Amino acid sequence: MTSMRTRSFIAIGLLPTLGIFIFFVIVPIVWSAYYGFFDWKGIGPMKFIGLNNYAEVLQDPLFWKSFKNNLLIVAASVFGQVPIALLLSLVLLKNGWFQKFIRASIFMPMVLSSVVVGIIWGYIYHPQIGVLNFLLDSLGLGSWKMQWLSDPSVSMYAIMVPIIWLNVGPYLVMFIAALQNIPSEIDDAAQIDGAHGSRKLFSIKLPMIWDTIKVAVVLCISGSLKAFDLIYVMTGGGPAHSTELLASYMYNNTFSIYRFGYGSAVSTMIVVISLIMVAGSQYLMKSKK
Amino acid sequence: MSAPMTRPLQPASSSRSEAGLPRFRWLKSKLIGAALTVYALVTLYPLLWLFISALKTNEEFFSRPFGLPSHWNWSNFSRAWEVAEMGRAYVNSFFVTILSLILTLVLGALSGYVLSRFQFRGKLLVMGVFMLGMLIPIHSTLVPLFILMNKIHILNTYAALIMPYTAFELPIAIFICVAYMNSFPKEVEEAAQIDGSGYWGIFFRMMLPLALPALATVGILAFLRYWNDFSFALVFMSDPKLKTLPLSLSVFATGYSTDYKLTMAAMALAVIPTIIVYLIFQEQVMKGMTAGAVKG
Repeated sequence: MTSMRTRSFIAIGLLPTLGIFIFFVIVPIVWSAYYGFFDWKGIGPMKFIGLNNYAEVLQDPLFWKSFKNNLLIVAASVFGQVPIALLLSLVLLKNGWFQKFIRASIFMPMVLSSVVVGIIWGYIYHPQIGVLNFLLDSLGLGSWKMQWLSDPSVSMYAIMVPIIWLNVGPYLVMFIAALQNIPSEIDDAAQIDGAHGSRKLFSIKLPMIWDTIKVAVVLCISGSLKAFDLIYVMTGGGPAHSTELLASYMYNNTFSIYRFGYGSAVSTMIVVISLIMVAGSQYLMKSKK
Repeated sequence: MSAPMTRPLQPASSSRSEAGLPRFRWLKSKLIGAALTVYALVTLYPLLWLFISALKTNEEFFSRPFGLPSHWNWSNFSRAWEVAEMGRAYVNSFFVTILSLILTLVLGALSGYVLSRFQFRGKLLVMGVFMLGMLIPIHSTLVPLFILMNKIHILNTYAALIMPYTAFELPIAIFICVAYMNSFPKEVEEAAQIDGSGYWGIFFRMMLPLALPALATVGILAFLRYWNDFSFALVFMSDPKLKTLPLSLSVFATGYSTDYKLTMAAMALAVIPTIIVYLIFQEQVMKGMTAGAVKG
């Protein structure tokens, strides 16, 4: 029974929300696909150039380098955050005050602004006044000192450390919730059957939370696109584009050299790539089992 | 590490008697506890270092990066406040965050109520549209949103942040509200309907108060995201008068400022509100941000 009154309530309840959402999230995406067909400086006339922008994106080695760096961050997340969080979750299962304190500490970086995180780590890595090089010196490991962020061969790896440090928290909370959801009867049954320690871990605990681990891996993929802020503050994508990500590549191409048509084409490519990656990862995860 | 670690460890409170010598198990749990303490301190250290460094002189900052300041320079905070024009940045961040929060909570709760309690044609489509929105990476919209807001002349106004913030937070807000409201029994509304309340009456007098825990989660999540956002503010706010806190801090990152003590003091001032929120709402923040990450 959808009376007039009910219908108008539904409309008032949904239309403003849908309006804002579609106008500020969906419309821009569609529009940028369209702007990608033009040569445009942001102001002045727009010149239709067909697929030229898109072709240029695909042929630019820098774009692929940025893409590769995004994949490196995915790898760092899958092989860094996930195992660390999993290991920690196994020893932080109980709900005592000590475990709660440790969990809260590990989660803490998540509530800091990425600008603050970026500047702090910038100081840690600073070649002259940085804490890291100071520490290496005082441990007698002076030869290990490096220009952490300004040496193109190490900068990308240096960036990964704060990304992992920052993001362990949510994965830890996810894994703890999953492990606590394992019914205690299963645990008891395993106990009676004589399974202990690592045996219990590999034949019961891990298989029981496998779905959560899959979700975590998908999260690593979508999360890798969010590292823009940190990169912008710490390196700006340099030196020599060694830490360029898709988002910073887009930013630099649009707002530094005012190629709005090209920037729009890059945005569209990022949306396409991320949708493919998310869809692909979910497909892989589903078919594995 | 600077601080000696003599934290009392929790005794192993395993009720079941498992295999293995008790001595060995006791030692193992102590070792794990110690390792965890070290890990937690390493995680917390950068923040601690930030607050300690904020009270140092520049000389102390690089001659003794791990030590305590010989004299606690509280004046660094007032200097930083002036140099980075943080008063203005605080006001801007405050207004943008509060206004976006109100909009997000009102629209999220109302739409959540409609989607949770009403059946109508197109409902699945609406849910699908919001779901799709959550798959779109936020940074890919920087350029198109800039162009769009430039066209409608709202760049460099509070609206240039409030509208996109709200738009991107709404799907998560709605999904959290719908999931929570779905758990209410049908009798809740039936009772109110007998009292003669209309839908608005039910919404304001029953649903909102009952959904308060879900709204708190949405609110805390949104607060942190709005307060900390950098990329939208960077692209959509070029007027120095309208800079939000993260933007005013990024001035220090560009390398022009080598006044480390002031940078540290400014950052300390900027993180205090989020740290306070975190200290009060730890559990909600941790659960909410994890749920937000899974859904977003």
